[in-house]
Amino acid sequence: MKVVKLHESRSHEWLVFGRDEERPSKIIDTNQYMIKTTNHAIMLDPGGIELFSAMLAAVVHHVPVQQITHLFASHQDPDIISSLGLWDKTLPHAELHAPWLWEGFLRHFGCNSIKYNPLPDEGKSIRLDEVELQFIPAHYMHSSGNFSVYDPQAKILMSGDIGAALLPDGAPLFVEDFDAHVDKMRLFHQRWMPSNRAKKDWIRRVRQLDIKYMAPQHGAIFRDRDVVRFLDWLDELEVGTGIA
Amino acid sequence: MQSGPRNSAHFFINAATVAAELSVVLTEAKNISLEAMNAKALVARAGDNVRTFKPITDFMVELANDTIWLVKEINREALTLSRNSLADLHSADAHERFKKAQERSKTAAFGDTLDSIAQEASNRHHQQTMQLRRHMRKLFELLDEIESRMLAANVVTATSRLEAATAADSYQASLEGIVVKLEKAANRIKHIASKCRHSLER
Ligand SMILES: [Fe+2]
Ligand SMILES: [Fe+2]
Repeated sequence: MKVVKLHESRSHEWLVFGRDEERPSKIIDTNQYMIKTTNHAIMLDPGGIELFSAMLAAVVHHVPVQQITHLFASHQDPDIISSLGLWDKTLPHAELHAPWLWEGFLRHFGCNSIKYNPLPDEGKSIRLDEVELQFIPAHYMHSSGNFSVYDPQAKILMSGDIGAALLPDGAPLFVEDFDAHVDKMRLFHQRWMPSNRAKKDWIRRVRQLDIKYMAPQHGAIFRDRDVVRFLDWLDELEVGTGIA
Repeated sequence: MQSGPRNSAHFFINAATVAAELSVVLTEAKNISLEAMNAKALVARAGDNVRTFKPITDFMVELANDTIWLVKEINREALTLSRNSLADLHSADAHERFKKAQERSKTAAFGDTLDSIAQEASNRHHQQTMQLRRHMRKLFELLDEIESRMLAANVVTATSRLEAATAADSYQASLEGIVVKLEKAANRIKHIASKCRHSLER
């Protein structure tokens, strides 16, 4: 599992885990994120059950496992959080922040010890030590109950499936050539995103944020100007194309 | 006696199948119960002519009731076992995944923070396996019991045949009919019980 430090400051660190070499080939590649503060750590979209061992092994290079006190699931998909049952055994005292809409569904993955903290539709903020994290509504992008995570200090937006790209194995972790990258994103957004109205709403919210990195759950991370380029591109794109 | 399932991946299916197959036994046991009622009525009508048949009808009633009770017990136990073996499978899987994480994080700065969790997973798996074995033993005991009831039924049918043969002509055919039905039901139950045993031992 490859690990890259996205941000480092006195108060906290952002780490990306991805491009696991041992991932079974038919499983979609995912990026997992961890924010480590002084005494806590939160994992954002910790991933599927098949990735659990690799993730756990990678994580303990950076924090004692007990320091992970929070989990976040942007939505209910298996690639996001089907590992929940195993994290439940690993971190019985942790809290899971996830859309209220999916509580009854996510519990099917096994959530007996971890506390489910339902996120209201309008979103909310939490504080880990000195770090504020905002859960920004991203409903229907693509899931009907869905959130992005914004860190105003580090200026990082974890966008979940928004900005996802289907890339070949071993592709770089950052977008190098935006125009070329567009081809790897188009199908994903057209087919997985259902609503143009929802898309506009999310773009409106996100345009108000100061973003240095936009970090999706699949594909590559957008830096600086590419973030705005992405928002402009998405704004123009017709989504919900599954209906003939 | 079997100590544990050889292929736990299929075991929870087998255990659930056993529960399903037992519904046939329940039907047979209810048939025995019905025949026992007929026999009782016949014995009451015939009075002294078939007096010796009375204990046999009593036995049939008892057999039917016991079998119904046993089947319900086995059913409950088989479903528990199915759930148990699935939990065992999950705990084995968790155990494996923690072990793998441990192996992959040997050089990690905080790798040792996994030790107690991996140990806990291993303990849980061990407990699950022990519990599975306990339930398994219980289920086999119940199957043993049902089979031994059916052996007793065979002995009784043999005696009943003799009794039926010595009964007054007018009752002979009816009594023999009852005996044949009892025998058939007992054999079917025995057959299903041994089939259940085999599918659990697979
Ligand atoms: Fe998704
Ligand atoms: Fe995804």
